[in-house]
Amino acid sequence: MVQSKRQRNLFLAFCLVPTFLLFSVFTLYPLFNGLYYSFFQWSGASSLAEFVGFDNYRRLFSDEIIPRTILHDYFLVVTKVFGIMILSTFFAVALTQMKIKEAPFYRIVFFFPNIMSVVVIGILWMFIYNPSLGLINSGLEFIGLESWQRPWLGSEDWALPSLVLPSVWAGIGLFMLMLMGGISNISKSYYEAAEIDGATEWQQFWKVTLPLIWPQIKISILYIIITTLNGSFIIVQVMTKGGPNNSTHVMGSYLYEQAFVKYNFGYGATIGVMILVLSLITVFVMQFLMRREKVEY
Amino acid sequence: MLSMWRKTSAWLMLGILFAFVLLVGCAPGAGTQEDDSDTDSETTEDTATDENADSESGEISGELEIQYFVGGYGDSWWKEVIGDFQEEYPDVTITEHAGPNINEEMRSRWVSDDPPDVVYIDGAGSSETQMVEDNQLMNLSEWLSEIELEDGSALSESFIVDPATYGGEIYSLPLVFDTWGTWYDNAWFEENNWEVPKDFPSFMDTMSQIKEDEGIEPFVTTGQYPYYFLRGALYPAFGAAGGDELLNDVITGAEGAWTSEPVLNVMKKVEQMQQEGMIDSGFGALNHTQSQMNFLLHDNAFIPVGFWLPNEMANDTPEDFEYGFIPSPMQDEGEPYAIVPDLRPLAIAEKAENPEAAKAFVEFVFTREYAKSFSEHTGAIMNLEGVDLSPNEEVPPFLIEANDMINDPEQVQIYQKPHPMSSELETPISNSLVSLMLGNITAEEFVEEAEQAAAEYRSSLEE
Repeated sequence: MVQSKRQRNLFLAFCLVPTFLLFSVFTLYPLFNGLYYSFFQWSGASSLAEFVGFDNYRRLFSDEIIPRTILHDYFLVVTKVFGIMILSTFFAVALTQMKIKEAPFYRIVFFFPNIMSVVVIGILWMFIYNPSLGLINSGLEFIGLESWQRPWLGSEDWALPSLVLPSVWAGIGLFMLMLMGGISNISKSYYEAAEIDGATEWQQFWKVTLPLIWPQIKISILYIIITTLNGSFIIVQVMTKGGPNNSTHVMGSYLYEQAFVKYNFGYGATIGVMILVLSLITVFVMQFLMRREKVEY
Repeated sequence: MLSMWRKTSAWLMLGILFAFVLLVGCAPGAGTQEDDSDTDSETTEDTATDENADSESGEISGELEIQYFVGGYGDSWWKEVIGDFQEEYPDVTITEHAGPNINEEMRSRWVSDDPPDVVYIDGAGSSETQMVEDNQLMNLSEWLSEIELEDGSALSESFIVDPATYGGEIYSLPLVFDTWGTWYDNAWFEENNWEVPKDFPSFMDTMSQIKEDEGIEPFVTTGQYPYYFLRGALYPAFGAAGGDELLNDVITGAEGAWTSEPVLNVMKKVEQMQQEGMIDSGFGALNHTQSQMNFLLHDNAFIPVGFWLPNEMANDTPEDFEYGFIPSPMQDEGEPYAIVPDLRPLAIAEKAENPEAAKAFVEFVFTREYAKSFSEHTGAIMNLEGVDLSPNEEVPPFLIEANDMINDPEQVQIYQKPHPMSSELETPISNSLVSLMLGNITAEEFVEEAEQAAAEYRSSLEE
């Protein structure tokens, strides 16, 4: 039976309207409300809000900590993209192509950090980094590298690099699964053909696997960028609170400090707008850089 | 297909329009907001005078909402006081808002101008200065002179530390007398014959001795909350070096205060502690609990924390551990210790719906009887003079000792800060402080950075 136009529209409305309403209330409204409050001086804890125009934005540009937070964020973006993508691609290829008998076991092990809350991961790694009791310093002592021991999270130079390891560790599993999905869709015949043509495993990886899973890789990279710019806040907040001396503040944690510790909610909202703008720009630039013809063999 | 797309996009546009209407409707306009609050405060004043008339005829009833933070001191004392108040005023319906996260939970009530009547300001997420700056607290200056204790003495004359003032006005009454100081393990010190420091030189001597005997960095604090060291060690040092005046200038960010000679001298002492390896080099990453654990495990020997430490760490304290407390020994040789109390106040909301019951409750709380029971319940001191704790078995020994010490001006000088430092100033100073204590900047660089933070703070106040 052919559906009438009216019926089809009704069905579409039935599917879209409730979702859109929820989306408006829970996403669009907070978004525009944040934008709105960025024009106010408001403590966030009372009903007194004073309209100050672009004052908060002027302050944003003269705030010496802001450039540092942006730098820290992009440091995490770059290190996480490389760290996670290299490791997860490696594991994905190893677990699908190498015919390891224990593959399901490793799959679970690597995915395990993903089912843990980031807060738990942060606390766990705080213990690992603990200068006196922690695994890392004790390990270094055990292998005789005392001179490498550091207060890690307590050092202005080492705190930010120290955050990379838990972030990468926590991210590998999910992207490994995504890439494994991509790899298992590649027909075996391509590899057989490549082998007959005398391609080494390494060449097979570069010429067959990588181009065919490029869509998954692209999505993974974009996803890492977005989640890092918006979500690196959690691990910073749990592990260092932006310290020592602002050396680990990312945009999100600085927003939190301004809005909820220093009671400058309006300024915090302004930082939120900045995060939105920077995330959008970054994603567009990355989309442009990573565009490629879809490969099909 | 194309026409359908057009239709759907029309739907979408309609939806977005709808969302905008929703937004504009919901977002509070600044202008109207202020007008609203003006009329609101007028009406509260009106009802206040009405109810004043009521209270003269002795009627206190209605709903009374009390917000109190539950932290290291627990809530048993509050339960007792509120229970007694209920018996005294059976017509009042009391609603308690309490817990460790209560400040966050109640925030929306404060934002929407529907606050509880009485608030005990303490714990994370609360700020007395912010509440005063946002006109959320009732001016209690006049009313305070009317309050009497159970023996008829005036409350305003009976505080150990006077209420904080903002431009000469009083908005809160200091209930809990907290003070920061430096803790050590008495038993461990006796066992090793280490001397309890009396001033900064002897502090350094003892720390060198401990460093030599145990091979540890003797001093620890939390780097995640650098204000522990600021309030616990530096405030008393500033008090000892320049009295209430310097303390006031430093906290209000007065011009030239941070770069002044006495402040630089104090910071030189901190620099010396760092350079001689007395400060735990890993302190930067530690939160307060971790630093306190390290202290209890004898990884370090001294830690600056407030009175709540033994209560907070009760479950983790080793059996042979014996808490010892001294005011932080940062003062020059031969001078008395200095203490800068930190007060946790009780206040009434400017927009309290039942101000009469709120006042009755605040008045009810401030008695020497409850001060005594406060010490029994919490192991801390309520901010009232003349409370005799010595014959009381339920009060921990360190507290009796500290109480005696505080009441002996030969041993301890009490310095008062005007009000807590605004987080707007405290945060940047804390950050530079961590850098100094890690040895990344010098004392001179620190005071320059602090002075700049103070200048920014002053200009933010002028806006």
